[in-house]
Amino acid sequence: MLVGTMPFGLVVGVAGPASGLTAAQSMALSVLSFSGIAQLIVCQLLAVGSPPLVTVLAGSVVSLRFVMYSAAVSPHIAHLDRRMRALIAFLMVDQSFAMTTRHFGAPGDRTNREWHTLGACTTFYVSWQLSVAVGIAVGAQVPASWSLDFAVVLTFISLLVPVLRKRADLAAALVACAVALAAAGLPYRLSLVVASIAGIGAGVAFEAWRKS
Amino acid sequence: MSTWLAIVGVAAATFLLRASFILFVDPHKFPRAFRRALLFVPPAVLAAIVAPGLAMPHGALELTLGNARLVAGIVTVAVASRVRHPLVAIAVGMPSLWLLQWLMG
Repeated sequence: MLVGTMPFGLVVGVAGPASGLTAAQSMALSVLSFSGIAQLIVCQLLAVGSPPLVTVLAGSVVSLRFVMYSAAVSPHIAHLDRRMRALIAFLMVDQSFAMTTRHFGAPGDRTNREWHTLGACTTFYVSWQLSVAVGIAVGAQVPASWSLDFAVVLTFISLLVPVLRKRADLAAALVACAVALAAAGLPYRLSLVVASIAGIGAGVAFEAWRKS
Repeated sequence: MSTWLAIVGVAAATFLLRASFILFVDPHKFPRAFRRALLFVPPAVLAAIVAPGLAMPHGALELTLGNARLVAGIVTVAVASRVRHPLVAIAVGMPSLWLLQWLMG
């Protein structure tokens, strides 16, 4: 889990200064939001001069999957106090969510399980921040001819391919692709928001159609 | 200043979305349809990000074999759907792009 994420952290780190953010801004973004995808989208939008409201909207749309994780983890940690739950929520990312659900769902004595989860999530948080910091530091030295920005797209491909499990997933992805290209003329990359919503709608519609 | 505003805003949004059901809402009280729609968030969002990165590398639509990023991206999708490893996309995609750029001069 850690090894697979380090290159992603590097790419995200490089994207900050490449998009015109200062090192402090790039690091603050990473420490506070702790989400590679949201960080990359914020960098891309700020690079094209999007206003804060549009940037926050796009960052929220790409983070909607956290709502899904939140609903899945919630019953397992309902017995913990509020501060502990807030901390676990803050540290929850794609990689740690499945682990947390498994860990709390396992049978047996449930006392002190939260400390194990917190330990694992904190380790992940720290290693993520370190790899982002390295990316920020080396980013300026990478020559443009290496086309390192393409690594960002590749990273998204490596996240996309495993989630295409059913035909409905494929329908959602294809419609999102088509709308993203057709709506590319919209200002501030609003095409991302429009295409995401169209793709989600297509997936739901496809599934309903298959069942009917 | 507006950059900092965006950073703080996104940080608040990502936390609130993570905390939604853990701190604020009982997941059992939520409509099923909404939870079903959430299942399609990852494929839709990721595809919406990938498509322009491959098909419009310079801002305009380039659906041709001369678009090295598009070709390298398709090769990467094909390989990544067979080899499930988190690093395979970068390991295949970057050399493919460099090779294509070199071939096209």
